[in-house]
Amino acid sequence: MELWPEVRCAVRKKIAFFILLGWLLLLIGDRIDELRVYQGAQIAMYTIALASIVLLTGYSGQISLGNGAMMAVGGYAAALSLNKLESPVWFAFLMAVFFSALFGALLGAAAARLSGPYLAGTTLALAVGLPEIANQFAFLGGVPGILFDVGFPPARFGEEFTQYKWFFWIATFLALLSLFITSNILQSRFGRTWSAIRSNPLAAELSGIHSSRMKILAFTISSALAGLAGAVLAMTISLVAPGAYTLTLSFALVTGAVLAGVSSLPGVALGALILVAIPEIADVLANSWGGGENFSNYLPGLIVSLLLILSVIFTPNGPGENLRRHHHKKASEH
Amino acid sequence: MIRETRRRGAWLAATVLAAGSLIATALPAYAETGVSSSEIKLGITLPLTGAASPGYNKIGNAMNAYFKYVNENGGVYGRKITLIQKNDEYSPQLSIAKTNELILKDKVFALVGPLGTANFTAVHKSVGLAKRGVPSLFLNTGFSGFAKKANYPASFMILPSYAMEAKIIAQFLKENHAGKKLGIVYQNDEFGIDGMGAFKAAGTKFDVTVPYTSGSQSAATAQTWVSQLAAGGAQVVVFFGVTSATAPLLAVAAGAKYAPQWILGSVGSDPLTLRALGVPVAVLNGAQTPAGNPSPNDTSDEYVKQFQEINTKYNTGTAFDDYVLQGMNIGLMTVQALRAAGPNPTRKGLTSAIETKGSTFASVAYSPLGYSKTSNVGHTGYYMAVMDANGDRKPFGGTVKLYTTDSGSGPVVLSTFKRPAMPAKGLPSNS
Repeated sequence: MELWPEVRCAVRKKIAFFILLGWLLLLIGDRIDELRVYQGAQIAMYTIALASIVLLTGYSGQISLGNGAMMAVGGYAAALSLNKLESPVWFAFLMAVFFSALFGALLGAAAARLSGPYLAGTTLALAVGLPEIANQFAFLGGVPGILFDVGFPPARFGEEFTQYKWFFWIATFLALLSLFITSNILQSRFGRTWSAIRSNPLAAELSGIHSSRMKILAFTISSALAGLAGAVLAMTISLVAPGAYTLTLSFALVTGAVLAGVSSLPGVALGALILVAIPEIADVLANSWGGGENFSNYLPGLIVSLLLILSVIFTPNGPGENLRRHHHKKASEH
Repeated sequence: MIRETRRRGAWLAATVLAAGSLIATALPAYAETGVSSSEIKLGITLPLTGAASPGYNKIGNAMNAYFKYVNENGGVYGRKITLIQKNDEYSPQLSIAKTNELILKDKVFALVGPLGTANFTAVHKSVGLAKRGVPSLFLNTGFSGFAKKANYPASFMILPSYAMEAKIIAQFLKENHAGKKLGIVYQNDEFGIDGMGAFKAAGTKFDVTVPYTSGSQSAATAQTWVSQLAAGGAQVVVFFGVTSATAPLLAVAAGAKYAPQWILGSVGSDPLTLRALGVPVAVLNGAQTPAGNPSPNDTSDEYVKQFQEINTKYNTGTAFDDYVLQGMNIGLMTVQALRAAGPNPTRKGLTSAIETKGSTFASVAYSPLGYSKTSNVGHTGYYMAVMDANGDRKPFGGTVKLYTTDSGSGPVVLSTFKRPAMPAKGLPSNS
């Protein structure tokens, strides 16, 4: 009985922390230039996408290389809802979550029978094939895709309030909401159950955990998050197109999650920051080497691959995880 | 007390000095974005690599070559033009990212020649070009939707719209292929639908209609197109799509010994690109196509001759084709627009200059330009041409028979318009 007030207090503290963080981010958004504001919206988008990987891979132990495909499901669901049903924007985001969760549940049911490289292979095939389906159906817009227009910011924010700041506000709100919900889920009995399945599936089964059902649940929630990220991505480019949800995106997400430490939810913001910084670094490198534009588009992919390979060789759990362990070790020594 | 007053004075002086130096460093040399006392920065997004790049990847360098030529001859009111090219691989999302870089990072004065209907639609919306007031000059797309000035107040087309093109082809079909079974293969997006709407309005009835989704084109899909066309007995086939779809269509049809009279839309009929994509030249022989510009091989044309000279000197090693001609012409139009905006150009001034003086600009295309306070329409007509065995094109019937029209319900009329002469040495002196 004594536990409940403590839990309530912890939740209140967490809510206060997220509100404070949101307020701080909005303050920062007011003080940086427009390009950085736009990149801020991208960081928020990647944060949601990486949270979906942390939940799926870091906690439930299922490897997915197909998060880009889940994002595509969310993006198309949102755009079709907005364009065909003429729904309000918030409903479009809700549809992204709903349809990607549904898709995730179906995939999860199949994936629960697979593990390790087989699961990775299946999801990889999905990442390659699913966005290409759009090329075959006219209502999905083919290569040019379909527009996803969340509209101008409300007039009461004033003339100076730019479209990108509006994207930043929406993306940041959704990212903070996603992180809040995900962190609560991970700290609940679900999170502990997933960790148990990941650490020792047999022991988990023996202690009464229905591991397939829990794996499907993980897949469903992870897909819902990825779908939301897909819709946020569509918002930032005002468009849903197969080219936005490429295999490169799926690999970049895996790399971001590994670099940040795949079982760390707070690390996702760092991973997201790295993913947005990579094209900037590539641009500087391409310009300093000369001949820039012909290969600057390919350099980010190369950097992502290199970082993933180096990370797997030297820090299999990711540099973020190593840093955290080092920090814990130091703290326990003192 | 005295010490306190002195200290206060020192603080005040330091603050004023700091604020002053901040303001001094913050003030640009010139008040308009992308324009300094010695330079005007322009930007373009286009596919430099990727499947759609053949041909299009030459446009930026051709523009640059022309700007280099102008820069070496005094620039625009003493300012040199710098063109920043960004590779969007013909993907809308990359196009948005690259346009963002051009506007927010490189801080260009205007966009020049952005390419692709879907790309520019997405860029215009996402980047908010209208709200920012960034001029987008001479779009490399003919989508008639961009002619809605209320929606695209600072954008200017250069190509005749796809609707105009379809209306002119419809007229040509009536005059030259009456009574024959007609087929059409078209891209099922804004581009193709724009054309199909105009064919319908012109009363053209196709016996076989083959839509394809952009991106689905391949040798395998072309097999199904050819089967449908042949089964329907189409004797004249209009193609309203991109070159990467023209190539498999013509190659498969040649393999199947299916040889209707081809009428290739302007977007998918560049001979050099078709040949580079493996289409046998013999297939092109006799294909009819709407054309706006003279053939790039026609050295009797004063524009072509001048641009070829510039290409040889400033774009060394690049074959002179339709894309190079188009790029140089956009360069020529841009320099005239910048000159018309005056010695102290602003974004608003540039837009207004094209609205008021743009219709008189010199341009290689034969048809009139439609710019005005209420119109951002570029060229307004085509003549029909026939390709020969080398892939070169000659006017259908031996002489240029120019048709002009609009994107709406206006008639297609035979025009007697005489285009302005090429400025002396290709260097505009307008104001």
